Amino acid sequence: MAIRAGIGLSTAKDHIQAVKEALSEARRNIYKDKFDLAIVFSSIEFAHPGTLKTIGNLLGDIPIIGCSSLAIISQDGVFKHGLIIMLLSLSPDTSINVAHVKDITAETIVDAGKLLGERLLGPLKDVRRNLSVIFSDGLIQDCSGLLSGLQEKLGISFPLIGASASDNLSFQKTYLYFNQEIFDNGACGILLSGKLNFGLGTKHGWKPLGKPRQVTKSMGNIVAEIDAAPAVKIYEEYFAKDLAELKNDLKQISILYPIGIYLPGEEEYLLRNLSSIEEDGSLVLQGSVPQDCQIRLMIGTKESCLNATHQAVEEVKKGLLGRPADLVLIFDSVSRYILLGRQAAQELQIIKEGLGKNTPIIGIYTYGEQAPLRATSYLGKTYFHNQTVTILGLGG
Amino acid sequence: MLNSENLFNILGMAGMVTIISLATILTWKIQRLKQLQSLTDKLKRSLDEMDEQAKLIVRTDMELNKTQEELDKKVAGLYALQRLSRAISTTLEKNQIFKRMDAGYLEDIGFEKALAFLWSRQEKKFIPCLNIGYAEDEIKTINFYIDSNQALYLNLIKNEKTVSSISLDATAKENLKRIFAVRSFVVSPILPKEEDEGFLFVGTENIDTVITEGDEELITILSNQLGQALENARLFEKTWQAQQNLEKRVEERTSELTLALEEVKKISKRKTDFVSSVSHELRTPLTSIKGYASILISGKLGALPEEARQRIEKINHHSDELAQLVNDLLDISRIESGRIAMNQEPQDLKIIADDAVDLLSMQLKEKQITLNTDMPAESYLVWTDKSQLERVFINLIGNAIKFTPPKGIINIGCHKVNNRVQVDITDTGCGIPSEAQEAIFEEFYRVDNPINQQVKGTGLGLTLVKHIIEAHKGRIWVKSKVGQGSTFSFTLPLRS
Repeated sequence: MAIRAGIGLSTAKDHIQAVKEALSEARRNIYKDKFDLAIVFSSIEFAHPGTLKTIGNLLGDIPIIGCSSLAIISQDGVFKHGLIIMLLSLSPDTSINVAHVKDITAETIVDAGKLLGERLLGPLKDVRRNLSVIFSDGLIQDCSGLLSGLQEKLGISFPLIGASASDNLSFQKTYLYFNQEIFDNGACGILLSGKLNFGLGTKHGWKPLGKPRQVTKSMGNIVAEIDAAPAVKIYEEYFAKDLAELKNDLKQISILYPIGIYLPGEEEYLLRNLSSIEEDGSLVLQGSVPQDCQIRLMIGTKESCLNATHQAVEEVKKGLLGRPADLVLIFDSVSRYILLGRQAAQELQIIKEGLGKNTPIIGIYTYGEQAPLRATSYLGKTYFHNQTVTILGLGG
Repeated sequence: MLNSENLFNILGMAGMVTIISLATILTWKIQRLKQLQSLTDKLKRSLDEMDEQAKLIVRTDMELNKTQEELDKKVAGLYALQRLSRAISTTLEKNQIFKRMDAGYLEDIGFEKALAFLWSRQEKKFIPCLNIGYAEDEIKTINFYIDSNQALYLNLIKNEKTVSSISLDATAKENLKRIFAVRSFVVSPILPKEEDEGFLFVGTENIDTVITEGDEELITILSNQLGQALENARLFEKTWQAQQNLEKRVEERTSELTLALEEVKKISKRKTDFVSSVSHELRTPLTSIKGYASILISGKLGALPEEARQRIEKINHHSDELAQLVNDLLDISRIESGRIAMNQEPQDLKIIADDAVDLLSMQLKEKQITLNTDMPAESYLVWTDKSQLERVFINLIGNAIKFTPPKGIINIGCHKVNNRVQVDITDTGCGIPSEAQEAIFEEFYRVDNPINQQVKGTGLGLTLVKHIIEAHKGRIWVKSKVGQGSTFSFTLPLRS
């Protein structure tokens, strides 16, 4: 067994009490004295410097990494309020390195990605790298830049998955955890090397609807024109609403009807949520949209969402080559959480049924995900996604 | 020339053929193009039609999703309300009612802030009793605003109507939004039947929350539940207070009675001690008197004149009676003070009864009284001191003989009652008046009847019997009618 994981969860209101409870449970569950990494996820009320300080004080020099989330996922369920800690113990032939970057701006985002990539490579430059997991501030408008910077250093086909931190849907501030530090406007990540067996699955389940259209003018994550008309027209036509009405229903439209980018050679459309609509009719999307690409309006249902989860689980199993997962990491889009509502637990149930009822599971709801589109292939290129469930199964 | 003419002709022909072929191809191409154009138009039309259908699908889907979302919200709200109602209705403590309104429940209903104020009639101000989502200083400010506009909030309570950010006019709405620092809100009066009226405020800062009539209904139900819970708490408090007062009074009375009982016990002990010491003191001279009288009667000191001998015999007889009286008194005081140990052993009740009857057979014969013993063949083993129980039988049968006229009947019977045996001694004597039936067991009490006036008695026999029975953890009583006879009954525990 290459990796041993112990999970502890607490919903105690006091953050120090919560850390103590979660950590003692995680220690009990790992059956090891030595740990190599602690992954920490929490709902927004635990995003407090005291939380990280307490964890640091109790764990010593163990690297800590994680972020805030709308809700946290464990094998025991989905918790709107709580703190979850996963302690990891790696086999001697596996190495790990953690790094972070701060103060990212729209102008420096690609460079920040490169810097994070360099820092992650650090001591692992000369060994075979297997996998990287990245967390970034969920309010960074276009995370695609960070990804391209990272890919420049780590390789385009390098298996990389990531999550954009979330808050309680107020979109005010999301937090990243790195060792004893808590910060926003940055990113942090883990790079794993050595003997590692893992499976990745990323699916969304949204289907294209209506006729294909072409992006005729775009820059980064802002689409100005579609079919040589103001981009907002696509939504105005489909929903028979004017700009003001669309702005009123923005949240619902963004979750249920994203834009799907057609990528030649890829199995699925790449989804982009609508962040806002500019007065000139430009659409601000969560993630970049290349000019001249073909797009479609996408539609999803609870059923298609859960079917996609099934498919993602199957891909993880394929990647693990029949071996069981020692731990499962889930990055699930907040859009899916809202769409599924009371059925959110059903999605977790599907993952548990597919990957083992007793397998330690830890996860978050994200404002964006990074994962290879054709996840079963090592050659799959990592993209910035919206609306997906990204599942990572790690085994020996 | 010919060659060149032919060449021209051939070329002309070829040119013609080429032109015709080109024209044919062109015509075919144009036709093909037209066909393609028509196909493209058809495809475009289909695509446009499909797009129109897609628009319909999207609009319907959006409506469905909105309805579903509203439905989900209502279901989640109702679930939360049900849990919250259960939580607040299961307490009867006023302080606990609001403490049980957890932030989690409120969040499920769709709000993250809540306040409740109750109107204090004595202090003439609103008292905060619930706070979810506000800092202490924020509450102070809000409380100040509310008390500055008391009439507005008292009116809200008086009108018994829930208001919200969708039902209030713009000015009032903006005012409340500013005071309570929220974007949407619902305010509902809390109306118990008596006292503690107030209002519940719930609100959210979430820009996406749209208050609906459903929300107003939900919060109205919640505030009604709070009103009911407060009313229940008040009634419980009232009942509890009354019970407390009652318990206090019972306690006071019990304590008074305990003191009185202690006093009685002290007096009784003093009496017992007195009787005991006096009896002892009496016994010594009595023994001497009886001893000397016996010596004189025996003639050892010389023959006595007849008259003197008669007097001495009387002294001897009365000394015996006095000795009996003193012994009875001593026994009573010993039993009362617990100084006499009941030597309890398993004894056959019938044997003891028969022994007593044997002892009294002469008296029965003298008065020609018929004595029937109706005791079952199987023996009743009782845990008793044989000699003491014999005294009980002798006393009760002796009394029956004493008060039964000649040729009367005495019946002795016994039967089992649960784990006890009950003995009944019935006579056909003169009977005991009902007012004396309890007193006969008291010391020195003698019923005022002709027989008692003729026959002497100490008035201690039944007292002694009662003491012995009670020392055996039994009970004694009498049922009697004047002129018809009496039944003395006592119980004794059976040997298990």
